[in-house]
Amino acid sequence: MSERPKLSIADVGMLGSARTRREALKVMMMGGALIVLPGAFAACSDDNPTTPQPTTPNTGTPLTIDFAKGDIAVLQFAYLLEQLEADFYTKVVAAFNSSNLTAAEKAVLQDIKYHEVLHRELFKAALGATNSFTATPTYPGVNFNDRLSVLNTAKTFEDLGVAAYNGAAQYIVSPDYLLLAGKIVSVEARHASVIRDLLNPKSADFAPKIFDDAFRPQSVATAAQGFIVDKVGFSGAPSTFVQGPNNNG
Amino acid sequence: MTTTENNSALDMIDPEIASALAGRAAEISQGAGISSTTAALLALGSVPIALGALASDVYGQTPSDVVDVLQFALLLEYLESEFYTRGTAATGLIAAADRTIFTTIATHENQHVAALQSMLTGKGATPRAKPAFDFTAKGNLPGFNFAAGQYEVFKALAVAFEDTGVRAYKGQATRLIGDKAALTAALTIHSVEARHAAQVRRLVGYKGWITGNSRDSLPAFTQGIYNGEELASQSGVAIATLPNAAANGGVDAYTQAFDEPLTMAQVTAIVTPFLA
Repeated sequence: MSERPKLSIADVGMLGSARTRREALKVMMMGGALIVLPGAFAACSDDNPTTPQPTTPNTGTPLTIDFAKGDIAVLQFAYLLEQLEADFYTKVVAAFNSSNLTAAEKAVLQDIKYHEVLHRELFKAALGATNSFTATPTYPGVNFNDRLSVLNTAKTFEDLGVAAYNGAAQYIVSPDYLLLAGKIVSVEARHASVIRDLLNPKSADFAPKIFDDAFRPQSVATAAQGFIVDKVGFSGAPSTFVQGPNNNG
Repeated sequence: MTTTENNSALDMIDPEIASALAGRAAEISQGAGISSTTAALLALGSVPIALGALASDVYGQTPSDVVDVLQFALLLEYLESEFYTRGTAATGLIAAADRTIFTTIATHENQHVAALQSMLTGKGATPRAKPAFDFTAKGNLPGFNFAAGQYEVFKALAVAFEDTGVRAYKGQATRLIGDKAALTAALTIHSVEARHAAQVRRLVGYKGWITGNSRDSLPAFTQGIYNGEELASQSGVAIATLPNAAANGGVDAYTQAFDEPLTMAQVTAIVTPFLA
């Protein structure tokens, strides 16, 4: 909890995310005013610390990215997405033995898992302990044993990642960080192309548009929220957004 | 942007520039240099003009930087556009099963040319003319003329051009940092070039990503396209020292995970053999 960029005891959702009654009590004590709602403890089945984390998107603790931090906020946003991707591909690789992915597909996904973990670790190192945090991904409806489910989810993540970097670049002030984003976004685009070709080989799908999308962070967060337990939000997000050629961000 | 005349000078300053200015002002007060132009304008008391010049000092760029980048990108897109247009028009060159891929790329490159021309015109510049190209690369690929049976050379050139394009756009991105529309447009082309690159690389049998500074089996004269891709540090962090780096593919993976930029001079050296 101490790793979150900004933590506020906002609502009963946080109580629901507490893993045990003890944690829930601690949370409520931290919050000061104690409002016990019926069923607030229902989410805590017992005091067993191995109780699985909640898996419903948008029900966890607030994870607020504060644009007052400038470039740090953009890096945190990228870090959030890379955590999601790295965790997803780690689970994909872990399920290789029980999945119906082909050997060639597994080789691609293994490489991508490496890349995403490295992206995540780099952002974590760049942000430092003060500004890094741990998000909780979740994959409703994803069957890690099923190649189509895995590849279609990967396609969603890679396309979203490309649009996210393309859209967030305009908020970066430091040329060094802008370059870093550029170094990563083209690798995400390579991933997107390969995943799309695995799904629909030798079609036009690898590059479905003349210009890739550029989405504003708020739009990206809305799309990613379906895979994140924490309640993703922004503080002081820029109200202006310069659209890319597709004018859909 | 024709309605700014009635606004105050302060209103005319982009908030982001103003914010960057604040930082720059602090540097200047600490003794950092400003350009002689800015100093002269400040001395003349022309505050709005001096602010504009200072803004370009802040980013180390001027509107002519943006035009320069767009003209440079246009040259690369002309090269790709002509290459794919001739390739897709040729009889018996492209394998039937791969045809959709190359017609898709050809369409994209033609549209990138049109978009860059339009952006340049919009900035009051005249788009450079399309030069004549030599796809034998001054004899490095003797006899290559998009003929039937030359598909392997065609695919190798596609890989070379796409990987160059990705690195070239990336190398110019920071020069667009003060022009959000140009930056965003360039980035949305940059990532499409990366999609193309991955696809044509896999057609040849390579991975979609670049490992180390390897040109795979491309001819030796293309090595400049890959030099510098083996970078071991990112943003001052040695990738090998990151937690999990060793367990996640080691050196190969961390060079694949980050694409590197090329300077304009490096790209010019790569492209020059293809100029007739």
